[in-house]
Amino acid sequence: MPKTAVTRITHSCHLIEIGGRTFLTDPWFSTRPGYYQGEPIAVGIPDLPRLDGVLISHEHYDHCDLEAFASYRDRSVPLFVAETVVDAARRHGFTDVTPLKPWQDLEVGGVTITATPAKHGVYEVTFVLRAGSEAVYFAGDTMLIPELAEIPDRLGHISLALLPTNGLHIRPANNLQVVMNAQEAAELTAILRPELAVPHHYAFTKGFLGDRLITHSDKNPQHYRDASRDLAPETSVRIVDPGIRIEL
Amino acid sequence: MGTTTQYSVPHAGIGPVEVSVAEYGSGQPFLLLHGGAGPQSVTGFAETFAATHDVRVLVPTHPGFGGTLRPGALDSVAGLAALYQALLDQLELSDVTVIGNSIGGWITAEIALLQSPRVSGIVLIDAVGIEVPGHPVADFFSLTMDQVFELSFHNPDPFRFNAATLPPAAQAVAAGNRDAIAVYAGAAMTDPTLAARLGTLEIPTLVLWGDGDGIVDPGYGRAYAAAIPMARFQLLVDTGHNAQLETPDQVVDAIWDSAETDFSAFAR
Repeated sequence: MPKTAVTRITHSCHLIEIGGRTFLTDPWFSTRPGYYQGEPIAVGIPDLPRLDGVLISHEHYDHCDLEAFASYRDRSVPLFVAETVVDAARRHGFTDVTPLKPWQDLEVGGVTITATPAKHGVYEVTFVLRAGSEAVYFAGDTMLIPELAEIPDRLGHISLALLPTNGLHIRPANNLQVVMNAQEAAELTAILRPELAVPHHYAFTKGFLGDRLITHSDKNPQHYRDASRDLAPETSVRIVDPGIRIEL
Repeated sequence: MGTTTQYSVPHAGIGPVEVSVAEYGSGQPFLLLHGGAGPQSVTGFAETFAATHDVRVLVPTHPGFGGTLRPGALDSVAGLAALYQALLDQLELSDVTVIGNSIGGWITAEIALLQSPRVSGIVLIDAVGIEVPGHPVADFFSLTMDQVFELSFHNPDPFRFNAATLPPAAQAVAAGNRDAIAVYAGAAMTDPTLAARLGTLEIPTLVLWGDGDGIVDPGYGRAYAAAIPMARFQLLVDTGHNAQLETPDQVVDAIWDSAETDFSAFAR
């Protein structure tokens, strides 16, 4: 049985290996004014392995950098996306684009991909990838919402969870929270009860002025590990630098 | 005191341009652009900022100001913006906040429009550059020096000097500055296309304005902020056009503590 593994490339962009297949999540390979990873981009587009699929949770630039990802060597790579991403993906030359709504699923080479609910500043879906008894939950940058508690009952045990933890708030929008925070990510961990959880979406910065004027966020993933120690002690939390491959 | 370095900066279509850059402090990078009052109108602020915070403040002298040479082909605000973007590339800086006063603010806006990933935010201090019906930019070239002082400061007395008493070399520099203003900004100090182009910006922007600015009034400043999506506008009290000269502490606090400011209190 091939190992289930994840390599964090940057932010919420991961390579997930499961069931002998390799998937990329939420591609982000460039920078723009006011959008910075705050950590290295560990793998460049030319160095990506052959991908069996790409999962895109929503259209925000830091999750859906199609302008950069269009340079990937094979634009017939299957994309599984929130339906709001379909037009942009096709506009960038991707020919195999499948929208998934929450709880819709399909199979790719023995791996079942199920879209799961999400809530963010714009429409978003999250994803569960399952091969046999192992499953990976990729949470994009969703808020914690009650529907996520249905995942274990509907989709079975989650082995590995990739969760956002920065609790991003948008100051000009009455300080609206749009991403789950460390405590909420720990609560979700307690619900999903994975063997392993990896935080993501915490180093992001809008730069010196943007972090003051536009957003505020928790850039320390240790807060998630601390909260999980209390709420989900059976789960091992690993804070993973970009480029490090970890196996389940 | 800062250290001054002469850089040879590549500029597409012009070739290498010599730029004198004074540098203060170390840490978070800022590019600070002077207006028509010349580099000495921002150096005191740069010293204050660097002395009180962990910041690296770079203050270039726009070619043609301060007795420096200006290549003939470098004759526009857009040209200066391209020059400073190339300077940031040359210095390999990232997460740079560009601050500009008056014409320096106009250059700052044009730098933002170039969308360099190196520039993460901009601060416009009593900037010129846009056209705002009912809020004209004062006609600098028709003003006496006394009138310039009156319009530039809430309390002009501490800043007045008699240009006629300056040594000949200083008078030559002042004349060169005046010529450079005319070349870069024109008599109107506006670009009728700028306001519409600013509507495409997505960069974090802070617009600071002296409540007593007589060169470009606060209504003009509010229009500037309104032209830039999500820009925040803040009035500085008892302050004129050269805010960084007259109330530098207010400017530093507005920038550094901007996260703590209740911007809902300020009308747009």
